[in-house]
Amino acid sequence: MRISELAPLLGLEVVQGEYSDRELSSGYASDLLSDVMANAKADGVLVTVQAHKNAIAVASLVGLAAIIVCNSRPMPEDMLEAAKTEGVALFRSAQSAFEISGRLWVALHRP
Amino acid sequence: MRILADLHNHSCLSPCASLEESPSLIAHLGAERGLRLVALTDHNSALNCPAFGQACRREGIAPVFGIEASSVEEVHVLCLFATVAEALSFGETLRGLLQIVPYDPEKLGDEVVVDADELVLDLPDYYLGAALSIGFDELCAEASRRGAIVIPAHVDRPMFSVASQLGFLPPGPYDAVESMSEPPRELSLGLCAISGSDSHYPEHVCRRPFLVDLPGGLLAASAAADASPTAEAALFAALRAELRESRVEPYWAAKT
Repeated sequence: MRISELAPLLGLEVVQGEYSDRELSSGYASDLLSDVMANAKADGVLVTVQAHKNAIAVASLVGLAAIIVCNSRPMPEDMLEAAKTEGVALFRSAQSAFEISGRLWVALHRP
Repeated sequence: MRILADLHNHSCLSPCASLEESPSLIAHLGAERGLRLVALTDHNSALNCPAFGQACRREGIAPVFGIEASSVEEVHVLCLFATVAEALSFGETLRGLLQIVPYDPEKLGDEVVVDADELVLDLPDYYLGAALSIGFDELCAEASRRGAIVIPAHVDRPMFSVASQLGFLPPGPYDAVESMSEPPRELSLGLCAISGSDSHYPEHVCRRPFLVDLPGGLLAASAAADASPTAEAALFAALRAELRESRVEPYWAAKT
């Protein structure tokens, strides 16, 4: 599954769409950035409610491909700018991290 | 006497702070901008406190030696001490609790230990921006047990705060809370609220100080080049008393 397939499949709002499209390796759900830093995988997608610039810093450190911000959390302008600079795809959903993670798991594990 | 104080500043030891922001520059800019009492509070480490103490006394202002510790829940807490020795000792304990994260200075920022003349002494090879493996309650209790002034940092911010990570401030041994504006009761428990600059760049120094009344004699004794631990402890106790009595004027109150 590729980054560009996320939004149509999960009904996500594209908040930052400047990225190099590629195959997603995995998904990770967490709201603790130190935990993301230690356990998320490169080219993965992060499901979180952490809507601020530091989430992008961690994403770029780990090499995450995309972040899905849940519960319609508003994202500050500096977060969008950072995501653009780092080429991290940024999506938003009205659904909870539980709902999104469940649907994402199914999509990533489809044969 | 009524003075400007600021208890939240990061030096070049904090990976997220500017390399320019040496302890001596904070002391110099602080003094120039009117601060009489300044704390250094790098993330999870006190290694730049010796240089900071020297630099402050060169500028004739009183230093406070602190650490901004990051609990396992990623809540930031200011832990302030009267002496360099106490801060360094607490830092040693935190060093053992720091979660190990691969540290790439290119991506995460430089961490530089310097002396008061900006000479580089050490480049720690572990990431100080990581969380500690100790819970918020336990962290505050341990800092308090060691005699620290304990202040949950920027309680109302959307990240690394009591509000963002815990939702409310649980009861604990706090002397005050630091806030960006007048905090709601669930984030202050009615305790004294101070403002803090949380400076990471030279232009941040003294951007959100607070006003407090401290005896001029104690300030002078603690700002002297040969300040004794007794003088440091006396000023520290006076500061704690003012915080506990909520006799401070934060930046947002002074502005109006």
